[in-house]
Parts: sequence; structure tokens; C-alpha cells
Amino acid sequence: MKGLTHFISGIAAASFIPDVVRLSTTSSEASNPSSASFLLAIAGVYAIMPDTLDFKFGRFFEKADVDISPKPNSIDPCEMARTFGMAIDRAWQENREIRVQFNTVRLGADKWQQYEIKFNTDRQEISIVIGDVVTTSQVPFQGTAPEISTGTYSLKHAKLMPGTTRNTKVDILSGPMYGFVPEKECVRVDFLPWHRTWSHSYVVGLLLALPLWGIAAIGGWAYAWLYPIVAFIAFATHVTEDLTGHMGGSLIWPLYKKRSKGLALFHAANPDANFVTNFIAVIIIIFNLDRYGSRFITLPYYQYFLFFLVGPLLIYFLPRTFKKTAKIPPDLLRQENHPDIYRQKTDSRFEEIQDESESVIT
Amino acid sequence: MIVDLIILICFVILGTLAGALLSLIPSLHIYNTAGIALIIWIQAGQFIPFDMIAPFFLSLLTSFTFISAIPMTLIGAPDESATATILPNTKYLMTGRGYEAVVISGIGSLMGIIILAGLSPVMFKIVPLTHRILAPHLHWIIMAVIAYMLMSEWPKGEGIGETSIQRLLHAWGNLFAGLLTFILAGLLGLFLTSRPLIGPEAGFQNLMPVFIGLFAIPGAIQHLLSRQNIPNQFIPRTVEITSKDVAVSGLQGTIAGGLAAYLPAVTAGIGSIIAGHTVARRGDRLFIISGGVAKVLYYIGAFLLLYLITPLTPGGIGRGGLAIILKPVLNPLPRELLLMIGIVVFTACISFLFLLTASRWMISWLKRFHYHALYWSSLALLTVLVFWITGWEGFLVMLVATCIGLIPVFYHCRRSNCMAVLLLPIALNMAGHSSSVLRFFQLE
Repeated sequence: MKGLTHFISGIAAASFIPDVVRLSTTSSEASNPSSASFLLAIAGVYAIMPDTLDFKFGRFFEKADVDISPKPNSIDPCEMARTFGMAIDRAWQENREIRVQFNTVRLGADKWQQYEIKFNTDRQEISIVIGDVVTTSQVPFQGTAPEISTGTYSLKHAKLMPGTTRNTKVDILSGPMYGFVPEKECVRVDFLPWHRTWSHSYVVGLLLALPLWGIAAIGGWAYAWLYPIVAFIAFATHVTEDLTGHMGGSLIWPLYKKRSKGLALFHAANPDANFVTNFIAVIIIIFNLDRYGSRFITLPYYQYFLFFLVGPLLIYFLPRTFKKTAKIPPDLLRQENHPDIYRQKTDSRFEEIQDESESVIT
Repeated sequence: MIVDLIILICFVILGTLAGALLSLIPSLHIYNTAGIALIIWIQAGQFIPFDMIAPFFLSLLTSFTFISAIPMTLIGAPDESATATILPNTKYLMTGRGYEAVVISGIGSLMGIIILAGLSPVMFKIVPLTHRILAPHLHWIIMAVIAYMLMSEWPKGEGIGETSIQRLLHAWGNLFAGLLTFILAGLLGLFLTSRPLIGPEAGFQNLMPVFIGLFAIPGAIQHLLSRQNIPNQFIPRTVEITSKDVAVSGLQGTIAGGLAAYLPAVTAGIGSIIAGHTVARRGDRLFIISGGVAKVLYYIGAFLLLYLITPLTPGGIGRGGLAIILKPVLNPLPRELLLMIGIVVFTACISFLFLLTASRWMISWLKRFHYHALYWSSLALLTVLVFWITGWEGFLVMLVATCIGLIPVFYHCRRSNCMAVLLLPIALNMAGHSSSVLRFFQLE
């Protein structure tokens, strides 16, 4: 899910607690009319926190075993491929995870050298292909690629696990990190191995929520105990929502560190999933604010949700019902090991990470 | 009756023309001139009928929502250091498609007018009810907007370094700048709301120096520092927009404009960021069309909320700059809403046609004159305007605000962080915390 979806969902989840709504109301009926609480805004902050921890903090503290920083103006694709390939071989030989960080190549204020990391699992090769110079908007300056633009390395010891690789272009801002994990007879490729690990754990959520109790108590805020509860609910909403995607998370890190698989219901950036979740959350928030506060809605709850939730969503989805789509046989969908489906799911995981990271870019 | 109608049409056309001409001046916002126009109007009250105030200013505003696309898109070419933060309109301009961007934006605004007119009957039922439910919660909603804006800004540095701290600091440059901008703008807002420096005689434009300093002057300086020239522009006979573009951008623009129109101190820019994330779709064309829709709902829709007089909202819902400027002299009646919508539709049609002509004229003009000339004139005009209306005090406020507004220009963080000047004091005030915060800063 995108950042905003988590943010609004967290607020919606917290709005189910009557005291939270009452504390957040500025009216004569409020418990303390002179100063209303920002509790629901805090819920939003905690709901977006797992991705903030990953993309704004965590990734800078992740140590790479191998750092590939090409020099501007003298990029050597052969040397890059050799360093990269040797790192993969090393993972197999040393029987441990090796992480490789690729860095971007900035040539000027608005010029970046693009290069592509390619995997060939049939021939067990990796390649680095130097592309054109691009602007920050990723518009290429045609014909700027160097004459010797490709470096290839044939793996000598390791064998890449099919379906876990994906070619990636590196150009602007920061570069990606790969993790190479020896598993059975192959090396599994983990793209952005630091994402959705410790930050997407209910345990960490609890630990991050608890200090709020102390802060609220020191500040003399009413219902100080409610603050950590709201924060944890919002954090947990994010972690749970992410399970609907392809990647999952390390749900009880540090007790169990392995990243679980997601339900693969949809992409993190799926427009329909995000919009519908946002819409449902807003309708729920308004309903809860009213029923625990002003009570202006005179409709019974089922009519309210029928008119304001089901109705608009039907209108939103109505145009799709006239669209023809190719049907995939249901038995094929369940075949996890079918190479095409497997590749499709792996691609989705990679795209999910990139889309999610872009959800906070303006 | 016919005479009244002719007078009305004359004032609407006058407002449209005035709005169109003023909107062509880069960096000048229509609200900066609306206050002055109102003063002139009041002083000439015996010659001009008072009941024409709303039609005149509404057509002025409608015209601005269309024509402002011209200076926003065509005037100025950012240099390469600003490319990380440029808007899609400017990308179009730099590839010779500025005219296309202006027309697409105009189509977006026309769509906004259709949406506004179409939604009005529904809004009459839903908005007052929603307003009564949300009004006691606006403080945390605004604080949530602030939190999301701050948390959703992305590190733009490469994050290269030997140690983790070095990598973090390298990547976080723009985020630190964004936080600094937010804090300084917020403090300026708290200071100005607690100790107004501008005298009551200029109270009708008390925020003008702040906004000119935060947005207009830094924007002009950015263009003046740029050594880029505007590339040759291509004028196509058609523009390509699919039905999907229309549907998605209509939805996105309605959310953005609706949020900005209703939530105090939330601008169309902030609304667009949130709406873009809500519908989770990207694309330059989508951005431009939805921007056009959002502008209409933000400026015109917010003003029309004044006419939403119902048993639940007996005083209407005053939102937006024009409502603040006109409220002291305006006595809106619910039956006038239909007339106002009619005026908006009429003005929009004229403005769109004017947009097509004026953008061609501007493109040919910019071939002969450098855009720097326009920005130098605009800078001089703004400075004189601030000095004339608000005196030395306002001029000093403008200088301080300019220093804050230049941070996003040089460090490439979001310019919307400057809106903390209003967002922070309003959120704190609504929650009843402003006095304790002012006491903390010894400003009470």
C-alpha cells in the first residue's frame, strides 16, 4: 500500500476507540474544551512510520559487504561486473549472505550516468551495461553511451536461483542493494534486503509506541495510557495491510527474523486497491467521528454505508464491467512453481518495493 | 430587469478582463490585487453598485484560474540545478510544448467548472452535514496534513559515504532544509499572529507581505538566476487527451480541490500531493489536467461555500482568500448561488478562448523579449505594492519571509513547507494550544 493509504487507514483504525474521538473534539461537550488532542494525527504518523524507518533511516545504516561506486568519467563495466560476480560467488563459497550496494554516478547538477544490472540465469552470467547519460527526469541524452559499454562475468561457483532475479536500471538519486543468500543448491537474490524486515514487526511497533505513554504522562495529557495504544494500533494496521501485497514482512522480529510471504492479493501501488482503501477509511472516519461525537447522521448504519460507501464504489467500478479481460485458468493461478507465474510474482515483488518507495516522492 | 442584466454582464466582462490582464503578470497573485480593487470600489461606492461586488470579483477569480496557467508555464526557464523540483508544465515548456501544456491546463479548468456546476446540488446536501461533523476536528486534520507533508518528502541526495551517518546526512540534505523551512515559517506565522506588525489600516492585506516574501519573490529570483533560454515553442492544432485521462484527472483534481477548498490553509498544491497519492496514479498530463480542475475548485469552490446557507450552516462556510477579503462587505443569499454558478460558467467560456489567444501572443512576445525583463518588472511592482500598502513594517516582514522562501529554492525541498506560516498557527489555535505555545516562546 502507498504511504497515504497507510496514513488514513491508521487514523480510521484509531477512530474506533470512542475516547480517542472524544479527546480529539473541540466542542463544549469535549472533556477539556480548551485544549483538544492531536491523537488521531499521531495515529497517522505511526501508521506511516514503518516505511519511513526503512526508506529514510534504515537503508543508510545497512552495511554492504561490497560497495560498487563507479567513478564518473572513467566507468569500467568489466570491472563492475567482475566485482559484482565475485561477490555472488563469495556468497556461495562462504555459505553466508553477501550484500552488494550499487551507487549512482552523478556527472553534474542534472546529469547522471545510467547503467543496467542484468542477470542471465540460463548461462549463469551477470552483466553491467552502461547506458546513456540521463537528466534527473530520466530523459536520456541520445548517443552518450560509451563505446565499450558491456561487462560480463560468468559465475564460477554460485548458481543463481531462477525467478528471483530481475534486471534493474540504476540512474538517479540512490542505487539499489542486493542480497545473495545461499539456499539449497542455488543463491537466492534478494532485492533491497533491508526493506520490510525489522521495521515491519509488531514487536517493534509496540516498543516504539510505549515511550508515548511516558511523554503523555510527563506532559500531563489526559488519558496518557491511550497514546501508546493508538500508536500501536496504527503501526499494526500498516504491517497488516502490507501482508496483502507480495512481500509480507518480518512480523515478530527480533523473535523470528525471516520475512514472511504476502498474500499477493494486489500490488502496493495498485490504484484501485489504494483508492478503495482510502475511500473506505474516510467513510469510516466520518461515521466514527459522528457516532462518538456530534451525531448529525440520522441514517441507520447500513443505510449510511449503502449510500456513501457501496453506491459510490459501484459507480467507480461500473465502467470496468463493460471491459473485456483475458481470463487465466484458475488452476494455473494456484501453480506456484509454474515458471511464468513464478516470474510474474517475483516481478510483482520488485515492482512493489519500487512503487512503495516512490509513494513518498512528489 | 434588462438594464440590470446588461449592467451585470458589463461588470462580469470587466472582471474577466481585469483578471486576465493581472494574471499575465508573473509572481503576482490575484489576492494581492483583489484587496486593492476592493478599497478602490468602496471609495467609488457612489458610482458603482454594491451588489455587483460579488459578480465582479468572482469573474476576476475565475479568469485568474484559467489565465494564470500562462505565466506558470511559459514565463521562465529553470536552469539545470532546479530540475529535481520542476513541475510537469515546465517539462513541457523545455521540450517546446509549452502551448500544449497551457491548453491542457485550460481544459482541466473547464472540466473543473463542469464538475463544480454538476456537483453543486449534491454539495448543497452533503457539505453542510460533513462540515458540522468535521468542524470540531479540523485541528487534528490540519495537523495530520502537516505530518503527512513532512513525512512524505523523500531524501533527494544519493546517500553516498563511508559511514552510515555520512550516508544519512548526504541523502537528507533536502529533508533538513524542508524541516528548517517548516519550522521557520511556522515560527514566523506564530509571531505575526501574536504580534501583528502591520497596522489596522492595512489589515485587509495583512498576509500579503508574508506570501509575496515566501512565494512570489523567491520564485522570481529563481527565474532571474537562471541562465537558460526558453526553447522554440511548437503550436499544435490538437492536443491528445484520452477518456481515461479525463476520468482519472477529474477524480484526482476534485479530491485535491475539494480538500484545499474546505481545509483552512491547505492550498491546491498540498491538496494535489495528497490527491495524487490517493488515486495512486502518475503522469505529467494527468498532473496538468488535475491541476486545472483543482485550481477551479480551490479558488472558486471555496468562495461559493459562502453561499451554502442551510439550517446546518446558517452563516455559510467561509473559505479561501476572496471570501476573507469580501466577507466584510458581502451579504450572500442562498438563492444567489445559481446566479454565481452562471457567472462562473460564462466567465470560464470567455477565459478559455482568451487563454488560447493570450498564450500564442505570449509565445511570440517571448521570442522578442527575454523573460528576465518580466521578472525584474514584477519584482519592482511587488516591492512597491508591499511598501505602498503596508509600509516599512510590511516591507521588513516581506524581507524575512523572502529569506525563508529562498531555502526551498536553493536546497530543493518542497515549497509547500512555507505554508506552515498559516497551517501551524491555525492548527494550534483551533486545538486551543496556541496560548501555551506562545507562552513557551514568550510571545504572549
